[in-house]
This record gives sequence, structure tokens and C-alpha cells, in this order.
Amino acid sequence: MEAVKSIRDVSKIVIALAGNPNSGKTTMFNELTGARQHVGNWPGVTVEKKEGMYHYQDFQVQVVDLPGTYSLSAYSEDEAVARDYIALEKPDVVVNIVDAANLDRNLYLTMQLIEMGANVVVALNMYDEAQKRNIEINIEQLAKLLGVPVIPTISVKGKGLKELSQQITVSANNPNKSRIRIDYGKEIEEVLREIQEKISACGGIAENFNLRWLAVKILEGDEGVTKSVQLPDELMKMRNNAVQKLEAMWGDDMESVMAERRYGFIGGVTREVVTRHRSVEEKMSLSDKIDGIVTNRFLGIPIFLAAMWVVFQFTFALGDPMIGWIEGLFEWFGGLVGTGLDRIGASEMIISLVVDGVINGIGSVLVFVPNIFLLFFAISILEDSGYMARAAYIMDRFMHSLGLHGKSFIPMIIGFGCSVPAIMATRTLENKRDRMITILISPLMSCSARLPVYILFVSAFFSANQGLVIFSLYFLGIVLAIIMGVLFKKFLFKGETSHFVMELPPYRIPTLKSTLIHMWERGSSYIRKAGTIIFAVVVLIWVLSSLPAGVEYASQESWLGQIGSFTAPVFKPAGFGTWDASVALIFGILAKEVVVATLAVIHGVGEEALTQVIANTWTPLAAYAFMVMTLIYIPCAAAIGAIKRETNSWKWAGFAVLYTLILGWLMAVLVYQGGSLLGFN
Amino acid sequence: MTGLLNISASMQDYLEAILEISESERVVRITDIANRLNIAKASVNQTIGKLKEMGLVTQQIYGPVELTGNGKKLADKVRQRHRKLLTFLVDVLGVEPKIAEKDACLMEHVVSSQTMERLTEFLVANSSYNDSVKSTVDHREESYGKEAGLKPMKTRALSELKIGQKGKVIKIASKGTARKRILEMGITTGTEISVKGLAPFGDPMELIVKGYSLSLRKEEAADIFVEVQ
Repeated sequence: MEAVKSIRDVSKIVIALAGNPNSGKTTMFNELTGARQHVGNWPGVTVEKKEGMYHYQDFQVQVVDLPGTYSLSAYSEDEAVARDYIALEKPDVVVNIVDAANLDRNLYLTMQLIEMGANVVVALNMYDEAQKRNIEINIEQLAKLLGVPVIPTISVKGKGLKELSQQITVSANNPNKSRIRIDYGKEIEEVLREIQEKISACGGIAENFNLRWLAVKILEGDEGVTKSVQLPDELMKMRNNAVQKLEAMWGDDMESVMAERRYGFIGGVTREVVTRHRSVEEKMSLSDKIDGIVTNRFLGIPIFLAAMWVVFQFTFALGDPMIGWIEGLFEWFGGLVGTGLDRIGASEMIISLVVDGVINGIGSVLVFVPNIFLLFFAISILEDSGYMARAAYIMDRFMHSLGLHGKSFIPMIIGFGCSVPAIMATRTLENKRDRMITILISPLMSCSARLPVYILFVSAFFSANQGLVIFSLYFLGIVLAIIMGVLFKKFLFKGETSHFVMELPPYRIPTLKSTLIHMWERGSSYIRKAGTIIFAVVVLIWVLSSLPAGVEYASQESWLGQIGSFTAPVFKPAGFGTWDASVALIFGILAKEVVVATLAVIHGVGEEALTQVIANTWTPLAAYAFMVMTLIYIPCAAAIGAIKRETNSWKWAGFAVLYTLILGWLMAVLVYQGGSLLGFN
Repeated sequence: MTGLLNISASMQDYLEAILEISESERVVRITDIANRLNIAKASVNQTIGKLKEMGLVTQQIYGPVELTGNGKKLADKVRQRHRKLLTFLVDVLGVEPKIAEKDACLMEHVVSSQTMERLTEFLVANSSYNDSVKSTVDHREESYGKEAGLKPMKTRALSELKIGQKGKVIKIASKGTARKRILEMGITTGTEISVKGLAPFGDPMELIVKGYSLSLRKEEAADIFVEVQ
């Protein structure tokens, strides 16, 4: 990992932000660092790593935003990342953002941070929300009981930041380890002491970690620790014996007892510092009232569908005109450069490379930008307002019956617009398995770029049943997505099914600032990461269409045409074994709608006249098989780029290409052969 | 032939409830079962449907529920087992009757059906214990059985709670990462939980735990046992 501090520079401070999801941690990060942030990935995992920087007095403070977690037990990637950072990188200060209105559960993480021996500063956030709910917290007393400084803050309003920054510099220069420890009870404490003695006796391991924390983790049987640290067999044997004895005594397992003790300690703390505790039967808050409507038995689904419709419209209805502008801009620019190059005597080859290859390539990356930014704007609002969790809650029953998670529904719906934002929207899924499956199946949802292809063939052959034929393709996509989802779950991502233990955070009004920052972060990362791949594919296809030197662009003699002629027989069983169909499919990898333009170029006609040409040279059955193929085969370059970006692996991007290609071919052949048998032609 | 081994603990509760209602009432209606078990009528309907499929009960649409011959046999067995367990806890181990009732119920739900089967076989077969306490057992079995049968049972799986009901956690039988997450989110033994609502499709459920809203699938909530308050 980076950020090695070989020589301690007194003016430089490294702090980490830790906190529960929905505790206002991200807002705090934005408020502290402003625009000076950098988003990357933690090494080896797909978890986002956000870093930023700010200056306070003479100090330069580097801020690392750890993933939002409820605990540090390392069973999810997020938690492992957060824990490893704190344990191994040892930031000068760990700022723990605590939701004041939800003190009990938030302090669970705080106690773990304290137990790890981190230099903790608690930011008691959303202090106003707590006050609104008549929760009065004795801050001094809380600080005393936890043994760490506690600063009240309201991150959305930027309140308390100065005090927090002040405390951070003070704490960084006077490291303070809380002396407070949870008393796990006589029996456990005895075992802990014994484990600690054994660890320190064998040296080595103890240096890197806080001894007591290590002992607690070993006793809990935390796999993250027991696997990464070499423990002597003798120690493990002793631990196992002790656990067996204790568990028999309590009739409950170690994990439960320790969680219970922790919460017991926390309960003691909150009883002392909170004057009016929010009881279970307190009167309905505004959030409850909204919930009563939004998750209502009868209104819940219509409201959810309406919300999805609005997101969809917002993303595509608002974004598509902008796409037109961007396309127009690039066409104009391409023309300008083309004439310019021609005038200075550049060869046709060079002009084509610059105009068709480079400018067109950049254009095809940027056309997605409006959709993506708008979509992420909408998703950020859904997330920050608290509705996203409800959407998952409402849809889980349905999605779970398909072996997926409630949150998978949103990416799949978005997939009808465009696979790229759909794949990126899977980030809201916590469980890696659910996320991988959703990424792999969302390209099967028929995106808007496939519609022009359907329209071409439908108007050539099926004008009587247009709607029905197009609908059948959308439907086929959904059915295949479901089937593949189930198969992937069964064969590729086996194991324990993901659970649905999810917080439903109170509704909050999202701030424009954080929504914009969210949108920018995610949108710009698409341009950077997926953009290069898309660009590379576009240029590669240009090269294949223009070589060997002297051939007509994308003609049968070009390398691409030769590849098309070579692969054509493969598609013979599917009814479209001609070189031009193959070339159109290869071009379709750029973007599915390019299939239409390619066929037009090859046949040397405009897109208008193409319908007639198709009607004369294709059969209806072959046309339908070709549409099925277009629906399923290889996601477009942008989607492949997005898959690579989101799975952080070429392997999975390759797998997505391969499985859709095979599935598409199989379905097309099935349609053609089956149709032929039934007497269609 | 359906044996006790392959029907779930909660279905066994149903059989026992139907049997007992049928002994005191003329007909057994869904409402009676729902009241006795303290479960929402919708869930009762569902389970009765399953029992019907298994050929243990018969029911015309909206009509009364009746045990089939097989069902009656099984219900008798369940009740007998429940009482055996209860008397064992009370008379041999000296557990307080109230706690014993709760624990007997918990054991039936958490322990594997095979172990339960063997345990009751053992209790029935173990003559030395039977002989030594026989007189008191016969007497008490009657009274506790009655007492327990008259009042609605208080130990429930969290998934069976109705909207607005509250309970205190007494046992978490979840496994793996779900268990970890459940514990971390603040559901530990002794925690108070109330059911705030259900998703439109009837699952998952929304709970209030430690002052915040948490959602759980019913299948996950089925592993958390609470004492209804």
C-alpha cells in the first residue's frame, strides 16, 4: 500500500475517516477536502479509494476516506480494506463519524476502533437531527466514557469543522490511546489475558498489532486475522479449548456473547449520556410518515415504478438531445479537420485515420457522457435521499425469487436505456456475488441502441406485427437474463446466498453539492477508465477496415471484409451466412446501432433505401434470427469497457464477450432451425 | 408416509394448535389458529395450504380446518412430545414451569428434528426416570399441558410477528455472515425489536432496532426467536 511514512514530517498529517454508511461520512469528506480529491481503487479489490487533502494552520492534512462500514470484522471487502488500512498503515488520526441520532449502533464501530488502539477523534455528526428528535447528548461525559475527544458537527452545514480540524492537529501531535476497554466478563478476560501472553511470548506478530485487539479477534475466531497471522498451533489449541468450555457454559457461541457484551457496554454509555432516548414507541417522525406511503402495500410498487420511469426519462429523454449535439459537434469537427488536412496535402490514409479513427473514436466515448452524468445525478439523489434502500426493500421479494438481490433491479431497468450506466449502477450492490451476476446479465436487457437494428428489419419484413416482434425481442432479453442469472448463481458464484440485513436510513434532503460531487466522481471515472478501451476498439476496427493499403474502407477486400468472409460460414446455420452480415456484426461491437450504418455502407445505399435492399436479399426468418443475434451477442465496446472497469478484471470482460457470443449464436441458430422446421422461411 | 422428521417445527406447532382447538371448540377456524399462535392470518393461510398439500389437514375454501387421520396421529405425537419435554424440564431438571414452557418451545424449533425424536424416545423409554417420577409426572403433565394450551405461546420466530408487535430477542439461530451482520447491526440477546411494516410483496420486513429501521427477509427473521411482549 502507498503512503509510507518513512520520516515523520511534523507538518504532514494523515487521517482516515471511518464511519457507518449513512452517517454523513462522505459529506464530511467533501466538506473537509473540497474539490481536492482523488478517486482510485484500493489495490487488488474493486472498492473505491478516495483521498483528499486540506490545509489547516501550518499543517497539510491528507485525508483517506475509508469505505462506510458497520463493523471491522473483515467479512466483506469494504471492512477488510478499512481494517487493514487502520491496522497496517496506522494513520495519525482516525476520525470516526458518528450519527448522533443513532448513537447505539454507531458506537459499535467506535468501540472496535478504540479496541484496535487507533488514535480516535469522534465527530458526533448530524447533531441537529438528534436535537430535532429530542435526543440530548452530554458530550463531555461521552468523551470521558469513551476516553477519546468528541466534537459535535453538522457536516451538511459545515458546522463544527473548524473545531474538528483543530482537534485533529492536536490529536495528531499528542497521540492518545483511549484507556477505556470493554470488560467482556471475568471468564473471557482470563482467556484474553492468556492469549495475549502466548502471543507476546512468540514475538514477531505482536509488533504490528495492538495486543488486546489481536487477542479479541483470535478469540472470536476472526478468519481475517487467523489466516493472515501465523499463529502457533499450541495457541490455537488453547483457544479452541477455551471457546468450547465457554460456549458450553453460556449455551451460545463466542461471537454472540462478545457482540452482546459490546452492545451491553455501549448501552451503559448511552444510558448515561443521552437524556431522552428515542424509545421504540415514539410518535411517528416525518421519515416514518413518508415511509408509510412509499412502502405502502398498494402504493409502494406504483411509486417505485414511477420513480424508475422518472429516472429513465431524466437520463434518456434529457440526455439524448445532448447526444445529438455531441455527435453533430464531432461530425462538424471531423469535417473541418478533414478539409484542413486535405488542403495541406495529407494522404487519404492519414485523413481517414484522423477523422474516422481518432475523432470518431473520441466521439464514440463522449456520446455516452450526458446519459451517464444524468443517470448518476439521479442515482445520487435516490441514494442520498434514502429512497434507494426502499427500492431494494420493495423489489427484494421479486428479485430474491430469481436468486438476486433487491438492489439488482435498478441496474436491470437502466439496462433498457444503455448497458454502460447499468453496469456502473451495480456499484450500489454490496455483495460481490450479486454484483458480478448483475453486471454479467445486464447487457442482455435490450438497450436503446439495438432499437434501430430492430426497426430496420421489422419495417422490411414484419410491418404488420411491428410491436409484437419488437416486444418479443425485449422479452427474450429479460428471460435470458433471468435464466443466465440463475445459471451463474448455480455454477459460477456458488456458496452462501447473500442476506438482506439492510439499514433503511431516515429520509434526508440531498444537498446539491454532494450530489454534484458524486455525479462528477462516477461520471469522470467512466471517461477515464472505459474511455481508453472504447477508443482502442474504435481505432482497431478502423485499422482492420482500412488495411491492406489501398482498399476501399470496409470493403470485402479489407482485412475486416476478409474476416467477415472467413466467419460467414459460422453463421450459415443461423440463416445469415454472408460476409456483409458478419462485417455488420463486427462493426456492431462498436455500438449496436452501427450495424445499420454498416449494412448501408456495404450495400452502397442510404439508410432509407436499405429497407428495400434487405427485403429483397434476406428472408424474414433469417432477419429475425439476426435480430436475436444482435440482441444477445457481444456487448458493445463501451459496455465491455464498463465491465472491465467495474469488475477490475479482463477475465470477466472476456467472459462476458464469450458467453454472449455463444449464447447469441445458439439462440439465432435455434430460431432459424426451429423456424425452418416449423415451416417458416 | 409423513413422519415428524420431515415437517418443520412451526408446522408441528400448527398441528398441535389445531388439535387443541378442536378439543374445546366445535370447529377450527383460521382465526382461532391465528389467535392461538399469535400469527397473522395471512401466514396461517399459507401454512395451512402447505399442510393441505401434505395431506395432514382438509379445508374447504373459507371453511373450517380439520385434521386428517394422518394429521391427527402426528398432532398427537407432537403434543405428547411437547409434554414429555416439558415434564422432563420441570420435574427432572427442576426448571421453573414458565421458563420450561419457553425452552421446550425453543428446543423444538432450534434442535434438529432427529435429535428431538431421539430425545423424546429416550425420555419415554427411560424407565428409571419414568418410575421414580411417574406419579408427579402424570399429575403435572395434565396441569401444565392444560395451562400451556390455554394461553397463547409467547415464544415466536421474529418472522411470525405481526405489524406493530414487539418482542425481546432470546435466541439467534442464524448462521454465517448473516449472523455476523445481524449481531453487528445490534440484534443481540435481550434486544427489543418491533415490527414496523412489510414490503408490498409481503417480504422483507421492516423492524425497529435500537431506534433505527432495519430490514430483514422473513427467512432470515425466522432464525431469530423472540419473546412476544
